[in-house]
Amino acid sequence: MEYIYTLVILIALGVVLASSFNLIIGYAGLVSIAHPVFYAIGAYVSALLARDHGVPVPVAMILGALAAMAASIAVALPSLRVSGDYLLIASIGFQLGLLEAIKNVSFTGGAGGLTNIPPFLIQTAGREAYVALVVGVAVLTVLLTRSIAHGPYGRALSAMRDDELAFAALGRNAVAMKVAVFALGSGLAGLAGALYAHYFRFVTPEQFELLQSAAILTMVVVGGIRTTWGPVVGAILLQALPQAITFLDLPVALLGPLQGLLFTGLVLVFMFWRPQGLVAAGEFWRPSREAPDVGRP
Amino acid sequence: MSAVLEIRGLDKRFGGIVVADAIDLTLSAGRVVGLIGPNGAGKTSLFNLVSGIFPADAGTITLDGERIDRLKTHRRAARGLSRTWQNLRLFPSLSVLDNLMVGPRHYPGEKLWRLAFDRGGVRRREAETRRRALDVLERTGLAAVAKTRAADLTFGQQKLVGVARALMNESRCLLLDEPMAGVEGHAYETMQRVVRDVAASGVAVCVVEHNVAFIRDLCDEGVFMFAGKVLARGPVADLIADPRLTELYFGT
Ligand SMILES: Nc1ncnc2c1ncn2[C@@H]1O[C@H](COP(=O)(O)OP(=O)(O)O)[C@@H](O)[C@H]1O
Ligand SMILES: [Mg+2]
Repeated sequence: MEYIYTLVILIALGVVLASSFNLIIGYAGLVSIAHPVFYAIGAYVSALLARDHGVPVPVAMILGALAAMAASIAVALPSLRVSGDYLLIASIGFQLGLLEAIKNVSFTGGAGGLTNIPPFLIQTAGREAYVALVVGVAVLTVLLTRSIAHGPYGRALSAMRDDELAFAALGRNAVAMKVAVFALGSGLAGLAGALYAHYFRFVTPEQFELLQSAAILTMVVVGGIRTTWGPVVGAILLQALPQAITFLDLPVALLGPLQGLLFTGLVLVFMFWRPQGLVAAGEFWRPSREAPDVGRP
Repeated sequence: MSAVLEIRGLDKRFGGIVVADAIDLTLSAGRVVGLIGPNGAGKTSLFNLVSGIFPADAGTITLDGERIDRLKTHRRAARGLSRTWQNLRLFPSLSVLDNLMVGPRHYPGEKLWRLAFDRGGVRRREAETRRRALDVLERTGLAAVAKTRAADLTFGQQKLVGVARALMNESRCLLLDEPMAGVEGHAYETMQRVVRDVAASGVAVCVVEHNVAFIRDLCDEGVFMFAGKVLARGPVADLIADPRLTELYFGT
């Protein structure tokens, strides 16, 4: 049973990560693959605040998410002001740099990882309660992404992706919108990190490296970029597959590279066979509810 | 006759190419100015300078008495400046109606926090924007194609969508870059009527156009540009009759 719970939590966290990343790379069209670093910030900040500073876990989790959000603004604002192309470089630099720093200072547990993270909810309300919490956050994330994507904000993002210059000439502030989406998406990743940390009670810097970037990107691309359900399908697939591989009883040294190959392979297969992903997005932006009739004769 | 847009001493060069050379130009409320000149004269560049697509090397631009030349493009639009594009630049992934819905000076759904904390307000203003967009579509003869994607329309209709989208700003100053190029028949008359109505409502309008009949019928005044310079200004008929300008225009 515990194994099933763990798998459900991993899938739900995958859904939060993939859906929030879909907002950034899909709907806002921002080129960045550094999503895991904000996942890491949420995990480390929440874990350290709760473990070493006596902050109650729920408060620490929220602060973890806010820290991820603040960090993402600090990365995105200067680079997006210059040009969209700098975001990729700035964010990867930030990801590599911060993880390197975590490995080399002692209060984070260094490369060996952060241990003894205080648990939450499990001792008092049981494992089921924690599963429900994480699944609830995943459901809310999906609903939130959907309402943004198909509301007035999503319409504006669609126009911005089509033609940023024409968009600006109408009075729309493209940089502000990009930073806002990047911050929201990164904050959600931070929340996912905090939820991870207080369940597994152990995090290491290496789990937030490029392999994780590839995994999240694969979830979005294989599932279907710029769709509500694509990242959900992608997350289920990509979290379940590695679990299936572990059943093969292969040596640990092989598992990591094998997963990496799997992600790359999947992306390549999909690029040729079904570039739109499992769930295909329409080219056309649609409002959430068919709004009142426009009186088509 | 009150000045809305005032351009003074505007200079811009790209390497060796001078696109604006000490340009002075005033656009007044309710008047339509026709900007004419051969290809490469710098007409589109002037619009780009005014709307802030690229910065000028020198000079000032004021809108209703306030400097806008240091503002970013979107801030100038928010002050009441709107424009169309020679090459359309519609949003292909949006319907005609949604193209217009992105156009108001203040967009209800532009701030994420509003979507969370002011849902009612956003919804109200969306409904209001929608009514205005439908009204503009009615005036531009596009009501029947509101839900069509812009790319599926005739070229003339697409040009009208571009103008309709610019009208959503309810701007003080409207810059139209070759609105008639490729437009014929029904759309031609509609375009003329729309531009005339906009000016009649007190907007300062500037039209770049090669269609002489259109300019003559519509414009209160003409401005002739060549090699980044304003060479002449006056009644359109006089400019057309000036042999020196005709020679420059046709490049004989
Ligand atoms: N962004 C730019 N960079 C370099 N040269 C430009 C740029 N924009 C316009 N030009 C040049 O400026 C000149 C004027 O162009 P333009 O303003 O489009 O003329 P018009 O609209 O009157 O036909 C042309 O020689 C064009 O190549
Ligand atoms: Mg031009």
